[in-house]
Amino acid sequence: MSIVSLRKRSRAWGRRQLYSFFSSLGTLLNHRVGTLMTVLVLGIAMALPLGLYMAVSNLRALDLQQEEWGAITVFLRSEAAEEQAVSLARLINQDLQASAETISPEQGMEQFREASGFGQALELFDDNPLPWVLLVTPGPTDGSDLEEAVADLEAWLQNRAEVELVQVDFKWLQRLSGLLRLGEALVSVLTAVFSLAVIVVVANTIRMDVASRSEEIQVLSLVGAGNSFIRQPFLYSGFWYGFLGAWVALALFNLCLYYLRQPLEQLLDAYGNRFVVQNLDGSAVFLIVFTGGVLGFFGAWLSVQRHLRQISDNDMLGRL
Amino acid sequence: MITFEHVTKRYQSGSIALQDVSFHLDPGEMTFLTGHSGAGKSTLLRLVLMLEKATRGQVFVNSKNLSKTSSSQAPSVRRGIGMIFQNHKLLSEKTVFDNVSLPLIIAGERYPDIRKKVRAALDKVGLSGKEKSWPMQLSGGEQQRVGIARAIVGMPPILLADEPTGNLDPELSRGLFGLFRQLNERGVTVLVASHDLALVRSMCQRVLVLSQGRLVDDIPGADIARPAR
Repeated sequence: MSIVSLRKRSRAWGRRQLYSFFSSLGTLLNHRVGTLMTVLVLGIAMALPLGLYMAVSNLRALDLQQEEWGAITVFLRSEAAEEQAVSLARLINQDLQASAETISPEQGMEQFREASGFGQALELFDDNPLPWVLLVTPGPTDGSDLEEAVADLEAWLQNRAEVELVQVDFKWLQRLSGLLRLGEALVSVLTAVFSLAVIVVVANTIRMDVASRSEEIQVLSLVGAGNSFIRQPFLYSGFWYGFLGAWVALALFNLCLYYLRQPLEQLLDAYGNRFVVQNLDGSAVFLIVFTGGVLGFFGAWLSVQRHLRQISDNDMLGRL
Repeated sequence: MITFEHVTKRYQSGSIALQDVSFHLDPGEMTFLTGHSGAGKSTLLRLVLMLEKATRGQVFVNSKNLSKTSSSQAPSVRRGIGMIFQNHKLLSEKTVFDNVSLPLIIAGERYPDIRKKVRAALDKVGLSGKEKSWPMQLSGGEQQRVGIARAIVGMPPILLADEPTGNLDPELSRGLFGLFRQLNERGVTVLVASHDLALVRSMCQRVLVLSQGRLVDDIPGADIARPAR
């Protein structure tokens, strides 16, 4: 085949694609109500995993490195002197990329007095029984590495001779981490299930489209249209359904976010967290819209393959 | 251009639609196919359009042996044939312009060329200015002419018509046959299936007569004007 002929054929192919692309859009616009219903169903189906994904992402984005969250309380032996406490704190600050704050027995007693309300009773002690205490905070890490950093610090501190007890209140962090992992698994499962739902909804819609346009398919076949030309508008319709469904999902998600953002941020602010609810960035929006289109296209392809063959088998094509 | 060699078509039900039919149409020839209902006229046209395959024998269209052509090649065979149907087969949700332009869109032609050719085809069938009309807004005769415009817009070398005058009054039918003659004079091979013997005789063209699936007569145009055989 010559280059000129190849170019001519590829241009003809391109023009057919353009025709199918816009004619499918025209068909959807001609059946606005049906299209709207289908797109809404798809949008709701896509909004659910999207919402959960964003919830998990926002939880991940919470500042897991706040001092009190990863802090380790180190109680030195009662005989340990101030020099040992200061020396250990310096070692932690310099060598372990963590920060250590020393609390003297006097400071500890003062804090205990204020917190416990046993002010007068505490005066009965002859000596201050409290040891030197260090408050150690791990250095900056990603949220996922915090658990490991705290565990390393704890192990290192426990091996020190001057250390009596290392206390890490870490369970809640482990629970949160577990919940996040569960959330991520749920996102994966829901994404798979609702992707399947999108494919099924589009496939069923296209099946009905094929049935209602059997006369057109028949005429197209009679005037020389090949299977690919007959298939194209349905495939593009599937793409449009998925594409528009994804935009509806994004709109629903943003609507929910609009109503939830303020009370959520107020709630977290009450816990001293300067948390700002994150929205989707441009690349995520593109990915969601593109994935919606691809799922719709795939659903349409499955349906068209099957039902055009059925029409052909039933000899509906080309009945004079 | 179209050749049938001992063609037999037996349907799965067992009924024989065509039996040992042989004939040849030269390029640029105009021929009428006549016979009673069930004589096999439509089956013969279906074989030419590759809507059916011959049970026995061979069908050649544009030198292509359709008996040995796979069904995936059927669209390309059909693109070389303009087909006019008794019931027009127009798409009611598309305008006249969109209906007529279908073969050109399938061929992937440029839009300016499509517009030019569609207007020329509509002009040829006397429907200029009806581009934006919907099929339902047209009379039966006009709808039939839209079907003809669609069949000739791509300037195919072969034109088939299956009972094209079935729903038309005599005057419109004569006008339609006159149009076929004009197309034929421009070199198009025309094969028209019709049971309207009087009209067929008035055209003074070759006539193939089918009866119960058999080709019982092949009358040259020159003999048509003589008294009926």
